[in-house]
Amino acid sequence: MSFITFRAAVWQFATLLFVICLLAPLPAPAQESAPASPILVPNPGSDLWRAVRQRDAIGAGTSQARGVETGVLIEQSGEEFRNYRRNDFIGNAGLFIAAVAGLILIFYMVRGRIPIPDGRSGKRIRRFPDIDRTLHWLTAILFIFLALTGLTLLFGRFVALPVLGAEAFSVIASASKEGHNLFGPLFLVAIVALFVRWAARNLPSRGDLKWLIKGGGIIGNAHVSAGFFNTGEKIWFWSVMLLGLTVSISGLVLVFPVFGQGREIMQLALIVHGIAAVLFIAGSLGHIYIGTLGTEGSLESMTTGYVDENWARGHHDRWYAEATQGGAESAVPDQSTVARQAPLHTSADKA
Amino acid sequence: MSFTEFVDGPFWYFSAAVFVIGVVWRLVGMLTMGSKPDYSLPRASGTAGAIGINIKRFFPRTDFWSRIKLQVIAGYLFHVGLFALLFFAAPHIDFYRERLLGFGWPAMPEWAFILVSELAFLGLLLLILHRMMNPVTRAISNRGDYIGSALIFLVMLTGCLALARAYEPLRVLHFFLAELLLLYFPFSALMHTFTFPFSRGFMGAHYGRRGVRV
Repeated sequence: MSFITFRAAVWQFATLLFVICLLAPLPAPAQESAPASPILVPNPGSDLWRAVRQRDAIGAGTSQARGVETGVLIEQSGEEFRNYRRNDFIGNAGLFIAAVAGLILIFYMVRGRIPIPDGRSGKRIRRFPDIDRTLHWLTAILFIFLALTGLTLLFGRFVALPVLGAEAFSVIASASKEGHNLFGPLFLVAIVALFVRWAARNLPSRGDLKWLIKGGGIIGNAHVSAGFFNTGEKIWFWSVMLLGLTVSISGLVLVFPVFGQGREIMQLALIVHGIAAVLFIAGSLGHIYIGTLGTEGSLESMTTGYVDENWARGHHDRWYAEATQGGAESAVPDQSTVARQAPLHTSADKA
Repeated sequence: MSFTEFVDGPFWYFSAAVFVIGVVWRLVGMLTMGSKPDYSLPRASGTAGAIGINIKRFFPRTDFWSRIKLQVIAGYLFHVGLFALLFFAAPHIDFYRERLLGFGWPAMPEWAFILVSELAFLGLLLLILHRMMNPVTRAISNRGDYIGSALIFLVMLTGCLALARAYEPLRVLHFFLAELLLLYFPFSALMHTFTFPFSRGFMGAHYGRRGVRV
């Protein structure tokens, strides 16, 4: 080979190399640092798992098992729902309940306890008959139990599990689940009974709007006229009915998955159940505060059935006037023997 | 000895022995107490009166119905529910077969177990609350009544919490509380479980001999 021939061959090879380089596709910027995959063929398992997950499937597969969605091996929306519940719902629910509790605490520190107007009179008047108090406390006991077990199920994985450990928490979680499912239907019975007893007294009446505009007199010292139940109590009553029915019905959908409801309905029921329960718990904090720490003399209406006359006159003046019918003859001296005397028959007994 | 071994072993035998001996002792004591001889001519059969009142007392008097319907309904819910749970719940039948009798009987289905539990709890809660809320029942109730009610409630509650039958601590807790109940039973008003036919019979015979319609 002559030198000229050798140079021509080198040039030809260089030209060919240059053309090949020009024709070769440029690597994508994002892939510059990624190592090249040694496998140039697709993962043979990907087709299998794509089929199992049915990501591309129009409908479900077939199965010998007969039931709702038994043809679906892996529910895609389940993972999305799980992420939503864990990452969004639980945190916000906890913040909301904590915020309401904090606001109540601040309100108490600013406003303090509302005393009985003009102090205790020494005479008491009957407000709630035994059956009403029995139903109220039945509802309250069931609610507190359901709230505690429900909060354990909702927050336990993040709050109790790190403290107690997996073994102890699994016991508590199992007990909470069984107890929650067992007592849930009883709560529905309790609120229906409360509805029967108290719905008529909680219908809107004259003075409700005025009471609302004045904020019930809780801010400031102005007295706002009210009947047996004031507007705030009426709002709470209907909230209990609405939220109670919501948590009960959604709870029944979850506890009895035998009526053809699929995963989407169950997921929706769980979210509705959770939102209603969190609102219910937050509202109950306000109810408990007003009934115990916030207002002097209120709790005894539900423990003894009697309230002080001045409490009745100060907070429920229209009911007081109706109950006493213009006189104090149906009020009794506040002595220890009062509870053993024949009960007073006020309008509460006729309900 | 672990707590589980203690509850399943010595404490179980001790509480069961106290229960059996205590109940027998009280029943024998009551039945051998006797009564003053009645020399008057009977106007009617004392035996018929004893049997009659035992049956009639299962039904509320109509003239009292409006005032006692809560106690009657709640009482039946609780007592019938507790009886069904005690003798027809699958875990209890397993226990009787394995630990006591050597044989069992058909259990009620799961849905019936849940329904009966709900009704029994509703009845028990209403009865406890009525005892606390009504001035008369509150006045005649003593500490023993509340202890008995609370123990039964806790035994039922822990039993239902252990419904999954997957966690040993829940079963042991239920068993431990049931043993406490067995220990307390003979010395409390819970003895009415066994004494009610005799007390009713005594009153029925007493009235029956005098021709009193009850």
